Amino acid sequence: MKTTVYSVLFFLLSFTLLSCGNDDTPEPVIPLEATLIQDLAAPNDVIDRTTGQVTQARPFIFFSLETQSIVTEAQDWDIAFKGTTIRVNSAKNVTAALANGIFEELKEVPASAQFATDTPTTFAIPTGSGAGWYNYNSATFTVTPIPGRILLFKTSKGNYVKMEIMSYYKGNPPVAQINPMTTPSAHYTFRYILQPNGSQKF
Amino acid sequence: MFRISLIKIIFPFSLLACCSAWAQDGRKRILDSSGNPIAHAVIQVDGLKPFQVSLTGELEAELPSGKSVIVFAMGFDSHRFTWQEWGRLEEIILKEKTGALQEVVVAATRTDRTVEDLPLPVTVLTSEQVQETGGLRLSEVLREQTGLQISSDHGAGLQMQGLDSDYILILLDGEPLIGRTAGTFDLDRIAVSNIERIEILRGPSSAIYGSEAMAGVVNIITKANKETKKVDLGLRHRSFNTWNPYAELGFNSEKWRVSGMYDYLRSEGFDLTPETVGQTQNPFAAQTAQLKVTRAFSPKWELSLFSRGYLETSSGQMQSGVSETLLGMENFRRDFNLNPTLRFKPSEKWLFTLRGMSSQFSTESDTRFMADGTSFDFQEFRQFYHRTEQQTDFQLDSKNLFTLGVGHLLETVEATRYDEVNRFDAGYFFVQHQWDPSPKINIVTGLRGDLHSQFGGRLSPKVAGQFKFSDKFSWQASLGAGFKAPDFRQMLLNFNNAASGYYVFGANLAEEGIARLQQEGLVARVLIEPETLGNLQAESSWALNTGFRWNPSAKALLVVNAYRNQIENLIETAPIAQLVTGQNAFSYFNVRSVITQGVEADLSMTLSNTLRVSVGYAFLDTRDTQVLDRIDAGELFKRNAQNITSRVTRSDYGGLFNRSRHSGNVKINYSEPITGIDWSLRGIYRGKFGFADLNGNLILDDPSEYASGWLSVNLTATKTFSNGLFFEAGATNLLNTLTPAQPNNPGRVLFLGTRIPFANLIN
Repeated sequence: MKTTVYSVLFFLLSFTLLSCGNDDTPEPVIPLEATLIQDLAAPNDVIDRTTGQVTQARPFIFFSLETQSIVTEAQDWDIAFKGTTIRVNSAKNVTAALANGIFEELKEVPASAQFATDTPTTFAIPTGSGAGWYNYNSATFTVTPIPGRILLFKTSKGNYVKMEIMSYYKGNPPVAQINPMTTPSAHYTFRYILQPNGSQKF
Repeated sequence: MFRISLIKIIFPFSLLACCSAWAQDGRKRILDSSGNPIAHAVIQVDGLKPFQVSLTGELEAELPSGKSVIVFAMGFDSHRFTWQEWGRLEEIILKEKTGALQEVVVAATRTDRTVEDLPLPVTVLTSEQVQETGGLRLSEVLREQTGLQISSDHGAGLQMQGLDSDYILILLDGEPLIGRTAGTFDLDRIAVSNIERIEILRGPSSAIYGSEAMAGVVNIITKANKETKKVDLGLRHRSFNTWNPYAELGFNSEKWRVSGMYDYLRSEGFDLTPETVGQTQNPFAAQTAQLKVTRAFSPKWELSLFSRGYLETSSGQMQSGVSETLLGMENFRRDFNLNPTLRFKPSEKWLFTLRGMSSQFSTESDTRFMADGTSFDFQEFRQFYHRTEQQTDFQLDSKNLFTLGVGHLLETVEATRYDEVNRFDAGYFFVQHQWDPSPKINIVTGLRGDLHSQFGGRLSPKVAGQFKFSDKFSWQASLGAGFKAPDFRQMLLNFNNAASGYYVFGANLAEEGIARLQQEGLVARVLIEPETLGNLQAESSWALNTGFRWNPSAKALLVVNAYRNQIENLIETAPIAQLVTGQNAFSYFNVRSVITQGVEADLSMTLSNTLRVSVGYAFLDTRDTQVLDRIDAGELFKRNAQNITSRVTRSDYGGLFNRSRHSGNVKINYSEPITGIDWSLRGIYRGKFGFADLNGNLILDDPSEYASGWLSVNLTATKTFSNGLFFEAGATNLLNTLTPAQPNNPGRVLFLGTRIPFANLIN
């Protein structure tokens, strides 16, 4: 009889304590950390200068933002790189949009962002200097990411990503040190933050 | 006893000698051509101490006797007399050495007008000033002038009031010179050996000259032979194994005036980056020949013919990018001009001028693999320009001069990058009224209308006025419109960079070009509706120039000019279609608008009869208004070396590339009386300028994107003997300052030269 009373009392006590614990202690918010990917090599096709014909075709390099790794075309890829072109996985309904701002200060997807996916004739991240993620400086012959240009993605799993490309050249060198003739290009260094809870806030 | 007698005999003789010397010295006066005394004239006997004249131009001191007497004064041509000639003269008249304000300028109004009477900012360079720069080519002469810069982009281009070479018209004896590469007129094509005078007119002059005179006009006037017979041979030698022999010939008779010139220049070029294949400037050889023949049929009729030819060859090596194969290049440039002019002056009031001008410009560029000689690239360009113009000048009375001109021009272009032979026709007229309502006021108004077969019509007005507060101070202001027609590239280019896969179409060919690419299945998406393509407008500007000329004293002159140019519709490339390869097809659009404004000041002082100093300063502010709008909207960002992104602010923005905010010069001229050598020491300063975008946003906004300012110290020594024999020696960039961001600077250059007037020596 006493044991039963003590057990009930114990359970009652632990319940109250537990519920008190639940009401008083807020859930800790863990700030999202940016993932830095360095020197992802995605060389372009080799083209004969005089005829314009492709002499050596190269493949797209497929990347999954969720698993932070290079994958094959058959797997769940989000974006693909080749030369200066970035594709999104339209088959898995991955969409992209462009935004302007400072990467650290962009706390949520802007209302004006227009997400689109690749179609057979267009790219969601437009190609051409100034239109997508990069500027081509014809005076110095270098490709540099547009400062303040942020790429937004909605991955195959429906999570939002904000991405900033740091450099198009191997080793992420400062722009002044890039030699367009010798520094290897088409090596992407970029950082991104993925919001795993599916919300539009970063 | 005998001795005392000898003294008695000698003494009177010496008295006589003194008296004759005294008699020779009278009260001589030194005057200028208007009869006014030259207060700062100096008289020197042989190599002895010189004597200064009084304020009335009179020589009051007693001159020691000698063999020859020389009279000189700053700003005048000096004159040498034998002792006998000197004794006979009472008044010596010195010819004014074309001073700053008395220079006659033709280009500003297409009529003769002196600088001080022009309500426009004009600078005149005399042949002495051209000579003291030690330059062999026009670019080397102009780079020492306040407010002018020489940039090296497809050739040595001039920059005036912050505007590029595309917007400056270069005239030779009043006729335009053609042949631009990517808009730049290469001033290295103009030899300076027979230049009489250079007129630099700032501010839009499209009211007379039409297209390309948006920033201003540079008129090179060649020497008109004044001697009966002239055979001058000269030779100059310079660093980098540069040799320049030249000849000037002339013949004058009662009815004929003939002058000819031949100039040969060869150089090994120079290399600022010896570790890379290919030189910064390739070795080249250039020949210029000019012939001017004038025949006066009667006091009323005169016919003259001007012809010029230019041939240049250069060769070089380069490496083809990634594969590093060696390529050899051979380049040719050819230029021919033939300008007949007929003048009819039936009375004092009327002058009719009929001018024809035919020019041909062609370039050829042959690049081959050095290993086996097979062709890598071959480019050809041929341009022909013909213009006929009739100008009527009517002097209604002493206060009113009317000018009416009408003309037609025809231009054809054929080149590797253009389809077929392309032809443009244009007609134009211009009217001008020069009005001097009072001695203190003069006003010039002008209007030109152009009608062009490719881009329609254009009206360019201009009004300028000057008010002379006093003899020493005058204020002027002018407001004018300028325009620049789209050029061949912008209208007709048909270019495909096979390796990178992009296409560039001139505005007239864009619609057709896109249709063709669509047929080939290359177009992924059309960005701009093809029907809207092809409506390329001329670039246009409005500009205000205002300033003053002030003589604080007889020996000093201060000239100041402030300006603001507002330029719209600047043409640039923009994508019109995205291709399936990911590349773009581009065409030309009127997209940009730019403002340039600033102040230029020149102070020249005659410190003594042998020393002259001048100081010049130019302040320039340039901005692209669309960039400013984007900065204000917070749309432009910059990234620093630590990859931290921030917004660009207005104070970050540095304006257009390759323009110095501050520039200036100090020039000291010293005529050393004992040796007769004229020294000229100049310091030319170019302030820091933006050279490339380094932080990814394609605008100038970061201290790292500037090249530092630099000072070029130049020294020239010249001596002209009484028989006309001329020697020169000197150096430019004495401090050997190297400027990698400005590749037309080879470092220190030493030069040596002579000119022998054979016809004078033989006589």
